Amino acid sequence: MRSGEVISAVLENGANIEFVFDANAPRGGMKHTFFTPDRKYAVQFFNEPKDARNPLLQDRIRTITGIYNPTVSEADGGAIGNTEKTAEYFRQRFCWPVAIVKYPEFGIVCPTYPQNFFFGSDASTVLNLKGKDKKSNWFTGRNRKYLTTAERGDFRTMLGTAISLCRSIRRMHQAGLAHSDLSCNNVLIDPRTGSAVVIDIDSLVVPNKYAPEVVGTRGYIAPEVLSTMGLDFGDPNRALPCVQTDLHALPVLIYEYLFCRHPLIGPKIYSKASAEEDDFLALGSMATFIENPNDTSNRPPDLKITINSLSKGLEKLFLRAFVDGLHNPSERPTAMEWERELLRAWDKLVPCANPNCEKKWFILRDDNNTVCPFCGKKASDRTIILSFKREMPGKKGVYRDKGEAAVFDRMPLFDWHIFSNVHNDEKADPQMRAYVAFHNGMWLLVNSGAEGMMSPSGRLVPKGSAVELKDRAVFRMSAKENGLLCEVTVNNC
Amino acid sequence: MSDYIRRLPVYLLLDCSGSMAGEPIEAVKQGLKTLLSELKGDPQALETAYLSIITFDSSARQICPLTELMLFKEPQISAGGATALGGALKVLADCIKNEVRVSTATQKGDWKPLVFLMTDGAPTDNLDEGIDALKRVSTGNIIACGAGANANANSLKKITNNVLMMNNLTAGDMAQFFAWVSSSIQVSSKSIDAKPGEAIQLPPPPQGFVIVP
Ligand SMILES: Nc1ncnc2c1ncn2[C@@H]1O[C@H](COP(=O)(O)OP(=O)(O)OP(=O)(O)O)[C@@H](O)[C@H]1O
Ligand SMILES: [Mg+2]
Ligand SMILES: [Zn+2]
Repeated sequence: MRSGEVISAVLENGANIEFVFDANAPRGGMKHTFFTPDRKYAVQFFNEPKDARNPLLQDRIRTITGIYNPTVSEADGGAIGNTEKTAEYFRQRFCWPVAIVKYPEFGIVCPTYPQNFFFGSDASTVLNLKGKDKKSNWFTGRNRKYLTTAERGDFRTMLGTAISLCRSIRRMHQAGLAHSDLSCNNVLIDPRTGSAVVIDIDSLVVPNKYAPEVVGTRGYIAPEVLSTMGLDFGDPNRALPCVQTDLHALPVLIYEYLFCRHPLIGPKIYSKASAEEDDFLALGSMATFIENPNDTSNRPPDLKITINSLSKGLEKLFLRAFVDGLHNPSERPTAMEWERELLRAWDKLVPCANPNCEKKWFILRDDNNTVCPFCGKKASDRTIILSFKREMPGKKGVYRDKGEAAVFDRMPLFDWHIFSNVHNDEKADPQMRAYVAFHNGMWLLVNSGAEGMMSPSGRLVPKGSAVELKDRAVFRMSAKENGLLCEVTVNNC
Repeated sequence: MSDYIRRLPVYLLLDCSGSMAGEPIEAVKQGLKTLLSELKGDPQALETAYLSIITFDSSARQICPLTELMLFKEPQISAGGATALGGALKVLADCIKNEVRVSTATQKGDWKPLVFLMTDGAPTDNLDEGIDALKRVSTGNIIACGAGANANANSLKKITNNVLMMNNLTAGDMAQFFAWVSSSIQVSSKSIDAKPGEAIQLPPPPQGFVIVP
């Protein structure tokens, strides 16, 4: 076969697909990759014939492509309960295998990564990155400095990236699937838009199916997996990749996105015998969180921005993940907890007043303190907090908190700020319903599409009209069923 | 914030003897260019790999000290003279001693260095002296590649167990060799997760290259 030759392949569903043979096809540890002539799909084959012929591996990949597939609707043979809408949502966030090749040999077909996960020609002025995929570590390690500032995003888009990743992993875990090799190489991110796509889906751990023989990637392998790597696969003491080990890799990635550093790599010396031995302990049995409040032996002397600069909820989760849960997998927060806490933090983001601030946004941790932790500039003399409350079913006048948002000019509000039964997730309508505007010295909540918004005095606020956000104002975001109550607090600081 | 990234030192030992004159040496120059640009496109390699070049003809010298990829300047190389392979190994041992940080109670050491050696002839100096010097320093994988009909597999076998032979000294073969060096460095910079002391699994050599058993 010559490079450039178009080869016809047959899928298990009987359809045909063509791919372009390339003698220098990208080759990973397990597979090599060709593309269809239109480059819409990647066609991947296994490097080892014994993998390609392994019926257990084939069976696992068939299940992943079929009934566990969140990128295909249930009607089209995908995951149970999946609608076309959620399928489309996850198609943007996973590079999930869509078909299986049976001829010339067993292989898989995946969509090509979405275009925004490839660097453009303007990504760097010192490196030629055009067309390369945006592996996470371009943005979080010291390579970051070679990228243009636009390419690096800001704190808000990095938080958005973390949310996007959590949502995908939560969706996987919800189905009982574990990624097993979550790492900077297998999550591509686009900090400009705040999005992430999870790739290398073929090595998922599927319930009751023969497990893939993956160990993971340095820096992301759970400590228990690394420290028992020397044991046989069948040894009961050997820890293998699973949902709980994903729950180590996930916060490592989140931490890297938010802080641009690794949570376990610090100054502590674990062994003077060799770098290899030191690393094995540093990421394995003796791993120590660089911000461990009880053990500062691995703490870099010049740490300025820490988990204390985030919301209290996120701080707690990081402590659970990297202190309580680091060597105790069952203590690790779930992807759902991460998603929820990151979303809470998202609603408390406020812009920094310093036009030269590198991070541009920060999380309002204390409603009375508007100093940006990144650059030290005070953002404003006041904060306005919207507290959303939902009425308890059957108990008129009894309210529970549904969340808070810190107000800034042009802040958008969505259905999940209006209705108690809507959550910010893949099922929600992403249409903006209202927004905040600072106008003629007044802070206004402008209705741009919320049905039945009410003023504090109980009058309907039609689309195009606004409620003034004054201290202690209370109004219904919607008078319709499940409409939330909104309480305004203005803090002078 | 200071970073605690360990370096992966990579030493390239290149034969620049008279027999390399013409197309082969031009292919080496081209290969280095490609190697550098490939490695700069890999975030892990860019972060961890440091590169040094040692050339040898009638004598041996380090022409590029161990340097991070972004600061690496392509060297001027030309061919002429004999094949001081033993000398090159001595220079390598000295460089490793001087440049590679060892692990101590107060210092995070570098990864074990990765060494690629390419020669098209038999050593014309005392090889054993070089081998002895090399034994006194710690190295990771050493890969020796004999290029063309006059390369001597037996002497390479004395240096390391990993010996490859490429049949020709053509530009195409040389390009393949450098492409393979590049992917080996990339694999190494990712998979430094192996158990301590274990050799890193390198990708299979390019087609047409023979592994000497
Ligand atoms: N769906 C895809 N869209 C675009 N490029 C792809 C796609 N799949 C693979 N590639 C290209 O192929 C390269 C290797 O792919 P892949 O992720 O399968 O290998 P790997 O992760 O290095 O190793 P492994 O074989 O262990 O999974 C990628 O870096 C990318 O350039
Ligand atoms: Mg991969
Ligand atoms: Zn700031």
